[in-house]
Amino acid sequence: MLALLFILFAALAVGCALAVVAQRNPLYSAISLIGVFISLACLYVMLAAPFIAAVQVIVYAGAIMVLVVFVIMLLNVEHEDSRRTRVGFLLPAALVLAAVLIAEVAFILVSVDKASFPSSSSSDIGSTASIGSQLFTTYLLPFEITSILLLMAIVGAMTLARRARELSPNARVIPGAQLLAANIIDPSKALDDTTAIETDTVAEAAHLLGITSPRDPSKRD
Amino acid sequence: MQMEPQLSWYLALSAILFTIGVAGVIIRRNVIAMFMCIELMLNAVNLTFVSFASFFQDVTGQLFVFIVMTVAAAEAAVGLGIIIAIFRNRESLDVDDANILKL
Repeated sequence: MLALLFILFAALAVGCALAVVAQRNPLYSAISLIGVFISLACLYVMLAAPFIAAVQVIVYAGAIMVLVVFVIMLLNVEHEDSRRTRVGFLLPAALVLAAVLIAEVAFILVSVDKASFPSSSSSDIGSTASIGSQLFTTYLLPFEITSILLLMAIVGAMTLARRARELSPNARVIPGAQLLAANIIDPSKALDDTTAIETDTVAEAAHLLGITSPRDPSKRD
Repeated sequence: MQMEPQLSWYLALSAILFTIGVAGVIIRRNVIAMFMCIELMLNAVNLTFVSFASFFQDVTGQLFVFIVMTVAAAEAAVGLGIIIAIFRNRESLDVDDANILKL
């Protein structure tokens, strides 16, 4: 019975993982990734780790994937264009990866085959109480370091996603838009003239500045 | 006879998921898709941690999974911030377009 459940969820996880890689639309990849997370949470329940399973659903399938889907929607990503395929370069890499995977799985199946899980009917490993007591006694230092890491992540994400210039409250915010100071475009203007000139695309900004776009497709190697 | 799932089954599943993630990072050129493949690899490692925690009846592995999830959340926030910054400057999510540091 447990073996059937394992095969079901493992097949679901592998299928969804293949879909993550195979889909061209990032939104479909994200939804397939949620499928992987949910099936892994089911496997965690089978491994007597209900707390980790709940955290997996809440943090991964909830918070992180909402963030990813939000960014996909915000940036309005369309299909990945397939103009430049690098199959010649990828073929050896794929062969090496396949060899590594086969060696890995063969080693696991040969050397760890005798091991089966201890009967865990009475243990409280994986309960919220045991995880919490260990987290706040033995592993208190990693826990505190994690809090500093999260603070750094908050500050870093705000710094990265913020615009370089102050915006007026009624300014339009367009992803990919550029703001240029007026004296860059017209050097005759005074340096303390802080009027911003807004363009919608990088190409438009480059045209205003009188330079060719660095992303000119004709110059790509 | 009832078949019970064994430790090696979970480890093999974890290896397969990790390899799919590595292949995705190599194959895909969309930076958001590469990001999701990295999340897939982190989850494969988490599965290994939880199986060994259950096998050895030790809670330490599950605590590591907890920490890994926190790091993954921080990585998601910073990584998506970087993605937005790249898109704002380059108008593209193709990693081949972000080659200004390449010699």
